Formats: sequence, C-alpha cells, structure tokens
Amino acid sequence: MSNLFRDRSPYSWSFRIGSGRRVLDLPLVAWLTAIWILLWGTLSWANLVNGIVVAVCLCLAFPLPAVDIGLRLRPLGILRLAVYLLYDMFSSSVEVTRQIFAKGPYHAAVVAVPLRVRSDLMLTATAVAVSNVPGGSVIEVRRSTATLFLHVLDADDPGEIESARRQVWRMEELVARAFGTAEDIAHAARPVPEGDTPP
Amino acid sequence: MNAWARAADLTGAVLLFLGCLQSLLGVIGMLRFPDVLSRSHAATKPQTLGTLLVLVGVALRLRHGIDVGTLALIVFFQFLTSPVASHLVARSAYRTGQTGSRGLLRDDLDPQLSDMEQREE
Repeated sequence: MSNLFRDRSPYSWSFRIGSGRRVLDLPLVAWLTAIWILLWGTLSWANLVNGIVVAVCLCLAFPLPAVDIGLRLRPLGILRLAVYLLYDMFSSSVEVTRQIFAKGPYHAAVVAVPLRVRSDLMLTATAVAVSNVPGGSVIEVRRSTATLFLHVLDADDPGEIESARRQVWRMEELVARAFGTAEDIAHAARPVPEGDTPP
Repeated sequence: MNAWARAADLTGAVLLFLGCLQSLLGVIGMLRFPDVLSRSHAATKPQTLGTLLVLVGVALRLRHGIDVGTLALIVFFQFLTSPVASHLVARSAYRTGQTGSRGLLRDDLDPQLSDMEQREE
C-alpha cells in the first residue's frame, strides 16, 4: 500500500473537464494558490478563495497537456539532498575562496561528465543542483548522451578533475533519490564509468 | 523580549553578516579572475549561498509565518532561475572563445562540437 503510494505520479490527481483536452491538475492548482497567498502576504479566507478561482481560471485558459514527466516527491530523499547541498555549498565556497586568493596563474579545463540517468527531468535537476554550488559551472548539456560539460578551475592539480566528476555523480544519485521514479533510482545506482578518457 | 527572541536576533545578525561577506568575496573573485568562465565561479557565490544566508538572517529577525513563507518562495525561485542565467552566460562565453589567454588544460567539448559541424555539412 505505502509502496504503491510512494511511486505514484502527482499527475494522477488531475481530472478531465468536459470532452476537450482541458485538464484540471489539482497539485498545480494548490501550488498556484499557495504562491498567490504568499504574494499577498496575508492568510485569509478571501485570499484563499480568490487564489483558487484565479488558479482554476489559469489552468483552464492555458491548458497544459497531462504529461507524466516522471516527477516523484520523496520527502526523505529531498531532505538528504537539501542537507548535502548545504554542506556542499559551504565546503565549495571555502574552496573557491582559496582559489581566489591563491597566487600565480592556473590552468582551467572543460571536463565531460557522462551521467547514468536518462530522463530529461533528472538531467535538468542534476544540472541545476550542480550549478547552484559555488565552483560548479555547467557550460553545455548534451541531451542525446546525457553528458554535462563542466568548467573546472585549477585543473593543474591532478585530483581536481576527478573530484569534480565524483561530485557530479554523487549529486546525480541524490537528485534521483529525491525526485526520480524507481527506474531513475535504479539507473543512478549503477557504478560510475571508470577511466579518465574523454568520450 | 525573552531569551529566545534575543538569540534569534543575534543569529540573524550573524547570518546577515556572513551573507554580506560571501557577496564581498564574490566581488573580489570577479576582480581577480582573468576570464568570463572563471569569473562565473566567483559570481555564483553571492547569488546562491550569499542570498540564502541573508534571507535566513532576515527570516530570523522577522519571525512571522507568512513573511518566512515569502522568503522561502524567493529562495526557491532564486535556486531555480539563477542556473539558467549562468549557464547561458557560460555557454555563449565558451562559444565565442573567451576561455582565457592561457587556454584550457583539457577540453572535452571542442572535439564534440567540431564533430557536429562536420556532420551537418
């Protein structure tokens, strides 16, 4: 029972209006209403009702196709991702600060990191998570091979490139465990591609 | 004012200070790094960790449910949108060849891009 619930798409709470392709997506309506209330800054019945009316009108006026993009919300995974992201932001920030004040020229590098997940959502979420950490700069994303291209500072240090790649793979696994379907998690749990050869 | 409020005020002040420090370090990095791609490393610092620290500091001083919710919304959208902007800057900088005068030690992307151009021809 709980397992069934855990792997259920948020889109299963949407229903069709009439015969057309207009779909009322309840999670989307709830999210839009929450933003409406937060933007007004007061929690009152009037704001709540107005928010729901505006959200329903928006959903009907600009219909989105009911596509399952493969988003699952796993509270424990999201918590772990948030904690790791905070830790990573602080430790990488110290690292970038060290590089700012390090004297002497350095060599940068552009490194390809092949990911193990295949879905578009996981690829995007991983790229967003990596670029939010100081020192992570995504230059290019290749969708066909699910590859991220990172800019790495201080590539003269031989361990630097490898540690940047490991960091991306760790982030990928945490992202899949926070937002991915069971299939994504299985993909992300595979061993990382070994060797330091560019594809 | 009880002890808890005092502690929250103090923590908020410390976090505000740390957030400002992050932004200052980001600016120093912008001045010290030579090229666009390296500078974008320093520029993400004030935009993510700096903003987060400042907003948490403000939340600790305001301590009002709905204000904290609005601040959380700001953090959420900041984290969602700033990578898009920095990615586009990095992408256009790379494609216009602004990778620094010393060049790259290793470049995995260049062969792939030239491959694609040849295939299109």
